[in-house]
Amino acid sequence: MAGLRFAGVRKDYGSVRALRGLDLDVEPDELMVLVGPSGSGKSSALRLAAGLEDVTEGSIHIGGRDVTDVPPADRNVSMVFQSYALFPHLTVAENIGFGLRARRVPRGETRAKVESAAKTVGCGEFLERRPHELSGGERQRVALARALVREPDVFLLDEPLSNLDAQLRVYMRAELKELHQRVGGTMVYVTHDQVEALTLGDRVAVLRDGELQQLGLPDEIYRRPANRFVARFVGSPAMNLFRGRFEDGVLRAGPFVFSPAPEERRLGRREIEVGVRPEHVRVTRSRGERAHVQVLEVAGSETFLHLVADGESLIARVPSHRRPEAGDTVRVSADLAHAYFFDATTGEGLG
Amino acid sequence: MLRRTERREYAVMLAPYVLGLAALIAFPAVITFGLALTEYDLIRSPEFIGLDNFRELWEDEIFWTAMRNSLMFILFAVPLRLLGALILSLLLWKRFRGVAAYRTSGYLPTVVPDVAYALLWLWIFNPLYGPLNLALEAIGGPTPSWLTDPRAAQWAVIIMSLFTIGEGFIVAMATRQGVPGELYELGDIEGARPTYMFWRLTLPLMAPTLLLLMFRDTIFSFQANFVPALIVTEGGPAPYATTYLPLFIYRNGFEYLRYGYAAAATLTMFLITAVIIYVQYLIVKRWRRAFVV
Repeated sequence: MAGLRFAGVRKDYGSVRALRGLDLDVEPDELMVLVGPSGSGKSSALRLAAGLEDVTEGSIHIGGRDVTDVPPADRNVSMVFQSYALFPHLTVAENIGFGLRARRVPRGETRAKVESAAKTVGCGEFLERRPHELSGGERQRVALARALVREPDVFLLDEPLSNLDAQLRVYMRAELKELHQRVGGTMVYVTHDQVEALTLGDRVAVLRDGELQQLGLPDEIYRRPANRFVARFVGSPAMNLFRGRFEDGVLRAGPFVFSPAPEERRLGRREIEVGVRPEHVRVTRSRGERAHVQVLEVAGSETFLHLVADGESLIARVPSHRRPEAGDTVRVSADLAHAYFFDATTGEGLG
Repeated sequence: MLRRTERREYAVMLAPYVLGLAALIAFPAVITFGLALTEYDLIRSPEFIGLDNFRELWEDEIFWTAMRNSLMFILFAVPLRLLGALILSLLLWKRFRGVAAYRTSGYLPTVVPDVAYALLWLWIFNPLYGPLNLALEAIGGPTPSWLTDPRAAQWAVIIMSLFTIGEGFIVAMATRQGVPGELYELGDIEGARPTYMFWRLTLPLMAPTLLLLMFRDTIFSFQANFVPALIVTEGGPAPYATTYLPLFIYRNGFEYLRYGYAAAATLTMFLITAVIIYVQYLIVKRWRRAFVV
C-alpha cells in the first residue's frame, strides 16, 4: 500500500487562497480525516490529490512517486463524492464496473471483480437495479464498491455521508470504519463534522483558512487542542472561553476561580484565555459562582444548560436526571485539571 | 376540490388561450375535415362528393411526387438538424470568453422572418454571383446550379433548413448543462477517455431530450419547407423537384381554387405525420428502458 504526501501544497483560485502550503503525510493503510469548516481547504486538498485541480505550488506524492503533473487517470486513486456521482442510466453492476470497462478490462473479469466488491460493501443483492431505485444508504454502498473495485493506491472520500439522514450516517460511519479495518487501504476522508472526524480517523488533520491547525490522534485533538480554534471546533457544544485575570494569588475566568492559581511563570506575562468544556463545568447547589439557568436543551440522557453568570454566558452539560429547571439559580465551578489556556492574542495553546 | 370562485378565476385566465385554440385551430380543423368531402371553389357553394377527393389524390402523380419529396426532405433534414443542434450545444454549453456572441449567432438565423430568410438564400444560391458558388469555386469544389438542377435544388432546401436550429440548440444546451460535472470528474479519475464518456454518458443522458426534439422536428419539418419552396425554388425545377406537400396544398387551394381537394391533401398529410410519429414512438419505446433516468 502506498502513502500520500502533500509537500508545501498551495492552491489559489484567482485571488482566493484555498491552501497556504499544506504539509501532510498520510501513512500507508491509514485512515486520515481532514476536518474543518467550509472554506478551510479540505475539499481542495482532496481534489488536488485526485488531480482534478492543478496545484499552484508544491508537490503531491503517492507511494513515493511525484504525481503533481500526472493526470487523474494515471494516479491510481479512486474517489467517492458527496453526491455519489452514480451514472443514472447504468445499473449498479455497470456503475461499479465503469472504471474497469473504461480501461478495457474484459467483461468476465469485470463481472467477477464487480461481484466481489459489491459483496464486500453489501450491495450484492441489487446489482441489476438502477440508482434511482435505491435508497441513500444503498447508493452510498454502490459508490464505495466502485471505489474499491479497482484496488487503488489511495481512496479519496469527499463528505460521503453528508447526504444521509442522521441515523443512517452513524450506522454507515461505523460500517466504513469496519470496512477500512477489513480491507485496509490508504484513505483520506474529508468532513466538516468533528464527531465523524474523531470517531473515524486513525489520525485527524484540522484545517482552517487553508492552513493545517493540528495533526494528531483523535484523542490528542480533543484533549490537547493546539489552539483556540481547534478547541472550539472540536467538541459539541463548543468549549466555553473566558478572559483570565490573576488576582491575589487566584486565577479568575468568567464565573470560575482557580485557586491556587497555576504558575504565572508557566503562562507568561501575557493576556490569556481560559477554556472549559461544557462537560467539565461542575453544576452544584453549594460550590462556586452563582449562575442563572436561562434555557434547557434536554437531549435524552444529557441536558445542555445555557447559563448566565456574572454577565457572561456559558454552556454546561449535565446528566438529565440531575438537571435544574429553567429560571433556577445554580453554582458552577471547574477543576484546573480540565482547564485549557490560550494566548489571548494569537490563540496559541499554552501547555 | 376547487372552490367556485377559484374555478371561475381559472376559467377567466384560461379563456384567451381556449378561445384562440377553438377559433384558430379546432374550428378550422373541423371545417377542413368537412371540406375534404366536398368540392368547393369559393364561388359556388360546397358540393358533397364523399371520398372522391381522396380517390383523386390516390391517382394524382403530382401528389405522390410531393409526398415523396416531403418524406425525403424529412429523412435528411431532421437527422441533420438534430446533429447540428447537438454539435452546437456541445461546443457552446460551457462558459467562456465571448460565448454569448457565439450562442447568439447560433440562434439568430432562427428568428429571421421566413420571407427575408428565403430572399437571402436566393442570393446565396445564385449560380453566378452568389457567395456560396464563389466560395466553392475558390476552393476548386463543384459549383452546382442550385436552383435549376432538380437534385441540387432539393439539397438547397435542406441546406437552408440546417441553419434554423436555434430552438433545438438551446434545449440541447440546457440538457447538457444539467448533467452533473462530477460524473465527468469521476470519469477522469476512472480513466475514461472523452470519446468513451461521450458514448457512454453524454449521449445516453441527452437522449430523452434529443428524441423529444426529433418528434417535434419531424412535425415541424413537414411544414417548414413551404416558404423556401415557394420563394426560392418555386416548387421547381420543372416539373416538381421541390413541390412538397404544403406547397401542393397551397397551389390547389389558393391558385386552382380547389379547396375541397386541398383539404383532403391536408388531412392526408396530417395522418401521415401521425403515422410517422407513432412509428418513431414505437422504435423509441423499445429502447426506452436504456434512457429512463
